[in-house]
Amino acid sequence: MKGALAEVVATLSHLPGVMAAMIVGAADGLIIETSAMKGAAAGGIDSRKHTAALAAYLYSKITRASDAARLGTPAFMRLEAQRGQVCVVGAGDVVLVTIVTSDANLGRVRLDMMKASQGKS
Amino acid sequence: MTRPTVAEAWVEGPLKRLMEDARLISGVMLYPSGRAVGQFGFTNAADVMSVCALTSAINASARELGRQLDGKPFLEMHHTGAERQVFMARCAAAGQEFLFVGVFDRESSLGVVEIYFEEFQKALVSIRPDAEAPKVVPAGDFEGELNRSLDALFGPLGR
Repeated sequence: MKGALAEVVATLSHLPGVMAAMIVGAADGLIIETSAMKGAAAGGIDSRKHTAALAAYLYSKITRASDAARLGTPAFMRLEAQRGQVCVVGAGDVVLVTIVTSDANLGRVRLDMMKASQGKS
Repeated sequence: MTRPTVAEAWVEGPLKRLMEDARLISGVMLYPSGRAVGQFGFTNAADVMSVCALTSAINASARELGRQLDGKPFLEMHHTGAERQVFMARCAAAGQEFLFVGVFDRESSLGVVEIYFEEFQKALVSIRPDAEAPKVVPAGDFEGELNRSLDALFGPLGR
């Protein structure tokens, strides 16, 4: 099980532009499996824990909004910020979270995250 | 959401921020002896008294259990109930240890509570006034300490 999760994370983290890939508990927001944060300075602040918790929390709110709008389960969530993007895909009890650069191939990231989520749920 | 009520004014800001950011339903900050420093979400002094007594006892037990199992005390505990969850952790400021216990539901998550608790800890360290000389109380005066802190939170008639 752990090996399969590590494989998903490794696959996603090797996509061009992906700075970090994580599998996070959907209910508790805690990291289950994560890649290293590319480009992070040694001894610098590690933002993965914060990102994981808040992305899972945000995804749960988005799910409620989507339900309220009678749209069903959200397929893909993308948060675009000044210096990059956070992508989230739900997969049952977990969510897949990637932190990607602004110039990443988002189509590829989305496709691979969706594929991984179907393998997980 | 209600404002925290506090026995020591310096904790009000950090407690309010923790309550709002982590979307906690209720919470109590206390000394390991059981004396309450601040609380939110409770309207009854008896409930705070129970929480303080239980948290103090749980901390003492968990600390010893941690020592026996892991060679060092546990830093935090989490209990998941059917609807609500309890988060309990130790924090320190200016050499003084405190305990915090908070309750949350599906409006929050353990991950969110943990990250805002970290910020709460940092805020305590940055604003803690110089430690006052500890008041001399009889050793083991648990009930007296607890009652004095509850008077500060709810007033003498609150109990």
